[in-house]
Amino acid sequence: MRLNREQEDMLSGKYGRGTQKAIEILIGLGEAQGAEELVKISYAHLMPPDVMFFPYGRQGRWAHEMTRELTMDIDRLRVTATIEPLFCDLAIAKTIQFTDDMIAEMTKIQGAASDFYERIGVIPNYSALPFYVRPGKFGEHVSIAESIAILWYNTMFGSRCERDDGVTSLSAAITGYCPLAGAHLSENRPGEVTIRLGEDLNFKQFTDADWDAFSLASSRLCREKRPVFVGIPRDIGLTDLKHLFAVIAVESGLAVMHIVGVTPEAPSLETALGGRKPQAEYVVGKKELVEAYQLANTTSDRDIDFILLGCPHLTLRELRELAEELDGKKIKDGVNLVAVTTRMLLEQARDMGYVNSIQNAGGIVSCDMCIAFAGTQVTGVIATNSIKADFFYAGFSAEGKRKVRFGSTRDCARAALTGKWEGRVP
Amino acid sequence: MKQILKGKSIKKLGTVEGEALVTTDLVAFWGGTDWETGDIVEVGHEAKGKNVEGKILVFPAGKGGAGDTFGYYYLARSGKAPKALICNRAQNTTISGALLVDTPMIYGFKEDVVKIIKSGDWVRVNSDEGEIEIIRS
Repeated sequence: MRLNREQEDMLSGKYGRGTQKAIEILIGLGEAQGAEELVKISYAHLMPPDVMFFPYGRQGRWAHEMTRELTMDIDRLRVTATIEPLFCDLAIAKTIQFTDDMIAEMTKIQGAASDFYERIGVIPNYSALPFYVRPGKFGEHVSIAESIAILWYNTMFGSRCERDDGVTSLSAAITGYCPLAGAHLSENRPGEVTIRLGEDLNFKQFTDADWDAFSLASSRLCREKRPVFVGIPRDIGLTDLKHLFAVIAVESGLAVMHIVGVTPEAPSLETALGGRKPQAEYVVGKKELVEAYQLANTTSDRDIDFILLGCPHLTLRELRELAEELDGKKIKDGVNLVAVTTRMLLEQARDMGYVNSIQNAGGIVSCDMCIAFAGTQVTGVIATNSIKADFFYAGFSAEGKRKVRFGSTRDCARAALTGKWEGRVP
Repeated sequence: MKQILKGKSIKKLGTVEGEALVTTDLVAFWGGTDWETGDIVEVGHEAKGKNVEGKILVFPAGKGGAGDTFGYYYLARSGKAPKALICNRAQNTTISGALLVDTPMIYGFKEDVVKIIKSGDWVRVNSDEGEIEIIRS
């Protein structure tokens, strides 16, 4: 690996142990990727393990140990940085079934961690949608640790980032560099396969959940290959894009993809494919969409215990739809609805009256937290509008303590009122 | 019968050998695998119910959230990590996890490893040379 003078100084320990450890990590990663040099970044989005990754019990201690050496003598980051949600809003932790002991521990661990990151200058957005706070620029190199945001910066903005994890993005923010490899390089960005919608379906009739299901169905076809989507309406909104991006980011582990006519590196199909022929041409029809719904609904139980919404954080449109369904009504006794968003969107939703409508119906509205991870403590049947959250609710253990019903935001809201799942499947 | 495949090693960590666990599906360590038991638990996964502990895990590529690296770290801290990771396309999050706990990992073979290696094959992984040797009796 070629290092410049500043990087060599970092490696020699001139800037302290934290910076030295950070550059060691980046060089190690770069060599593993086959990178020949590090590239300057202009922005980082952090995912510190002790802020977000089950900060209690033994894994809470491990999370802290993972970054202890890196952060020991850091008092400022070299680039602008935002941060992932905290694990849990302590005010609602009991509702989603954490014990007093767990709450005491997470108060300490996530509290100390967030204090630290705020002290070193991180913008405390606590959001899985950092592009609302700090949009990307075409061609700039950034380091992002959040799967939907990685895919979003690369695909929507044409910024360049790899699938960086929390340790890598922190190291990048400390040093201002990351390895020049993967999606940072033009050769690793063109689409490899194409995906179209079957003639038996129409994007204009899609609910938000249909976009999730379409995304899951697409990822089961393209797997790890970068897709180019053809035929997606040019006027697709941010909410539908969020649903499309969130699922495939996790299910295919993609850093970058393309949407013809929508994303900057896809003015045409030929350009999006980098002038090559597609390795495969896939079609997602009704059959594939219904299969995705079947996979996402891990139970046929109709009695719902929890409605957990906000992975990734709810947009204003989702909050509006919730408010419209719940306004003037009451959520059924014994059913808990938790809706989570980003603080700046929560303020706007409050101004619009959405928060009042949801709260007056008996729902909880929160921000700054990760309902996908914190929601994994509940038992019973969860309803959600997110296949990404579903992946985590149904995952982590084979015991199957949590069963999941998946459907649109409106279907989830209706289930909150009746306690019964009547979700529509296309 | 012996067969040698060459790929790119993420770090020189010597040679390990063990029984292959091969899956044709992408693998997620955070959420898709139980970090306390090593079981693959993802709904609909081809290898659901299989355990990765001590195996030479052979898979097309990683997937999952950006937290997948921490999932691998927790798995390793629980003592349930595979002995080595062998894949076609290396996800950054997978490499980072392997580097955090020094699991040998080789990727980028000319051949499709999930088609060539079979579950139960004995595999020797030489991370210094970026070579794997498949040994069948």
